[in-house]
Parts: sequence; C-alpha cells; structure tokens
Amino acid sequence: MGMRTVFYLLREAWANLRTNRTTTMVAILTTAFTLACVGIFLLLYVNLRAAAGWLQEDVKIMVYLDDRVSRESAAAIEQQLRSDHALASLLFISKEQALGEFKAQFPSESHLLEGLGQNPLPASFVVTLSPQYRAPDAVRRWAERVRTITGIAKVDYNQDWINALATFIRSIELIAIGVGVVLSVAAVTIIGNTIRLTLYARRDELAILRLIGATTTFIRVPYLLEGAVLGALGSAVSLIMLKIVYEVFRQQVRAMGRLAGLEQMVTFFSPQICLALIVVGMGLGCAGSFVSLRRFGEAKV
Amino acid sequence: MPLKCPETISGGDPQMIQLIHVSKYYNRRAALADVTLDIEKGEFVLLMGPSGSGKSTLLRMLIGAEQPDDGHVFVQGKNVTKLKSSEIPYLRRKIGTVFQDFRLLPKKSVFDNVALPLLVQGASPVDIRRKVTEALRAVGVDHKRDQLPIGLSTGEQQRVCVARAIVNGPVVLLADEPTGNLDPGLTSEIMELFKLINARGTTVVVATHDPLVMAQVNRRVVKLDQGMLVPEQRVWA
Repeated sequence: MGMRTVFYLLREAWANLRTNRTTTMVAILTTAFTLACVGIFLLLYVNLRAAAGWLQEDVKIMVYLDDRVSRESAAAIEQQLRSDHALASLLFISKEQALGEFKAQFPSESHLLEGLGQNPLPASFVVTLSPQYRAPDAVRRWAERVRTITGIAKVDYNQDWINALATFIRSIELIAIGVGVVLSVAAVTIIGNTIRLTLYARRDELAILRLIGATTTFIRVPYLLEGAVLGALGSAVSLIMLKIVYEVFRQQVRAMGRLAGLEQMVTFFSPQICLALIVVGMGLGCAGSFVSLRRFGEAKV
Repeated sequence: MPLKCPETISGGDPQMIQLIHVSKYYNRRAALADVTLDIEKGEFVLLMGPSGSGKSTLLRMLIGAEQPDDGHVFVQGKNVTKLKSSEIPYLRRKIGTVFQDFRLLPKKSVFDNVALPLLVQGASPVDIRRKVTEALRAVGVDHKRDQLPIGLSTGEQQRVCVARAIVNGPVVLLADEPTGNLDPGLTSEIMELFKLINARGTTVVVATHDPLVMAQVNRRVVKLDQGMLVPEQRVWA
C-alpha cells in the first residue's frame, strides 16, 4: 500500500469521524464511562495491591535459638541464614535484648520474670523474606527447612494472617480481571455498534468500492482507524475523568483530617500505565470495528 | 465422471467472455438454466429479456458477485468461478460497470467519483489527473468536474458513471439497464457513447429490456427468457 493510499485512507477515517460528529461524541463518551469503570477497579487494584505489599512486608518470622547454643554456633547459624537467597532482612535479638524489650513493653509484668531467677527468653532472629517468597506455601517451606537446622528451637509466624492476606490479594486480582474483561467487552460492543451505524449509513458507498475493485484491506482500514481513534479518545477521556475523581477524593480525605496519611499513600497510574491504557483503548476500538466489519460483510455488491 | 474445468484457458486468442453450461437457482427457481455463451474480444453484445429473465444475474457472475450453482464462467481466459475472494478485486479492475441507478458517491465531486477506481489501484496523482480528464472529456462532462452529482442532470450523471467505468481502460464494459432512467434522446446519446468505447477495442455487454436500444444499436443480440437462452439473431447495421 502506497503512501498516497495511506493518506487517502486516513482522510476517509477523519471524514467519517467528522461527518458523524454526534455519533462519534456519544461513542467516545460512552466508551470513556465504560473504561472509567474499568479504570476505577484498576486504580483500586493498584492501591490495594500496594497496601497488601506493605502488609506483607510487615510479616515477620521469628526464628528462636535453643538456649544451649553457644555464641559461636549462633553466629554460624546467622551466617547460614544470611546466605539464604530467600531472605530479605535479618535482625538478631539476644536474650538480654529480648528481656529488655519485654520489660519495656510490659513494665507491670516484669516482676514475673524476676521471680524466675534467670532470663527465660530465648535469643532469636527476626526474619523478613523477599517478596517472591512471601506466598503462604513458600513461607511454610522456608520455615520447615530452617526448623531442621541444629540449634534452632522454633520457627514462628502468623500463618493465618499470611493466608488471609494471600487470599485477599488473589480475590482483588480475580475481581479486577473479571470486571476488566466484562467492561472491556462492553467497550468493544459500544465501539462496534458505532462503527456498524457508520457502515450502515455508508453501505452504498462500500458496495461501489467493492464494485470498482477495492480490496478488503482498502475498505476496512478507514473503519479500523476510526475504531482506534474512538477507543484511544475514549480511554484518554476516561483517564481525565478518573484523575478528577482521584483528586477530589484526596482533597476530601485531607479535609476530613481523620485519615491523615492515606492521601499520601494512594497513588494514580504512572504515565507509562496511562499510555498503556490508551493503547489498550485503541486495541479495543480496533477490535470493535473488526467485529462489526466481519458481521456487516462490508456490503455485498 | 464430472468434467474438470481448468482455472484458465490458454492458447490462441481466447474468447473475452465464456459461459459453459451455467445454471443458477434462487429458491429452486432457475435464474439461469444451462446457459452456454461466447463473447469475442471487441464484440458489442446486447443482452435482452424481460425483468427477471436472468440478465443481471449473468452480469453479476462476470464480476464474481454471484457464483453459479453449475457450470463455469471465464473472463479473459480466467475461470471466475475458481477465483479466491482476495482475487476478485483484481478481476473487477479489468471490468467497467455501469448501472441504471448510477451509483455515484453523493458527497464526492464528479472528478473524485471518476478518480475512485484509480485511487483504489494506487495510481499517482499525475496519472489520476490525466486519466480522469481524458475520461470526462470522452463522455463530454469535463466542464462539470468540480460539481457534486446532485447538481447534474440524469443524463450527465450516467455519463459520469460511464467515465468512472472506462477511466482505467477496462477490457470489458458491462452495463445493466444503463438507460432505464433516461428519456429516448439521452438513451440514444449513451448508446452512441458505448459504441465509441467499443470502437476503441473494449468488449461491451449491455443488458436491457428496452427494444428501442436494440433498434438503435444494431449489434449482436443475446436473448434470455426465464433464465434460458433464446436462439440468437444477429442484426447488423
């Protein structure tokens, strides 16, 4: 296809959009609203996922040492743990530090320990795992492996909390995917219907084009471009709408004062994601056009 | 054993159009029944018959818009019935078509309407300008090139339609009831135009039910009646 043909097809696509201004505007706005619904879920997903990530970072695994372990053995265990690639951070808490912390946290109960004569609290390591090892199964496997190391008395973590968190994240993902798919199909249908209206209005013209030897590509390209433009504009408008809603939400939270800090935590899509969403809109628009063209049969001669 | 038909006919000077035992049925009613017909290169043929006799079906088969239920259709030696759908546009670029209802694009100027077949083929702007001007001059509407079809008389609109059909130098010109909307004076003008085009070497097939056209043209007449060919009569001037 030569450049002249490309220019002609671009001109035709632009003419289509201009001729059917009202239909075009309605299609852009309906697509924008539909994609904004997808966007809200995506935004919720991104923020909840980030929040879940912070919560996961908070999950600490306590590795308690046997009281009989010597200082040298403890150092060797620490060395062994530090060389583990699953490990993100490790903090050693000696028996004395554990006692100090207990006293600081429960000053009224400290006399209970004094009565025992010696410090009953074991030395321990506070471990955080790398993000890819934070799934419930991975944590369990890691804990079981570490438990077998000589000198380690107990590995403790809140399994229920980890499980609940993982289920929560998976649920958000599933809902986001489900809602995304349903609303994307809606966007494709909306754009597809707009294109079908155009096709119907121009069926005589399409028949003439067929008659004079236009190829399927020549006939389809302007409508695919039209769909892409509708999708991209719909997506861009939906992002603008979302940004406005997002800013209003932040302002409201700030004004309330009670949830201070939340406004700092919530984020909007990065420029890259915005661009990707516009490209997705374009793709959905093209898909809508394509479906309509296939169903319409491009006006038989 | 069924007769196997080739995709092309080669050797010698092939017929421009060949129909071999062609039949077409709509709801079990024969639109064309076992039609065998040869049209030579450079011939002018009138396809006559009342409405519903199968004229339009036959013309539509020549441009690959209809497939026969039986038989084969050859245009310039190529078996149209065996063409892939992606090859049909290239067949249509060799065939000019004129219709009773003109089929011009109402929002495009006369020039743009006539330029369309060239644009579809990716011709250069210089070529388009030259060929469109030639075609418009040939049909006598060059002075209306910037007007929209709606501003033209019916005779002028049909001339523009003829210009569009001949602009890329087709080997065959098919016209389906081209004078159906025209008065006798304009009918005569359009038929003279077809004769001129034919004189330049283009094979012309005109489907009509108008006996006036037959009287004016005085060329080979192929008659169809209820989808069947009536034995031919040749009328020469």
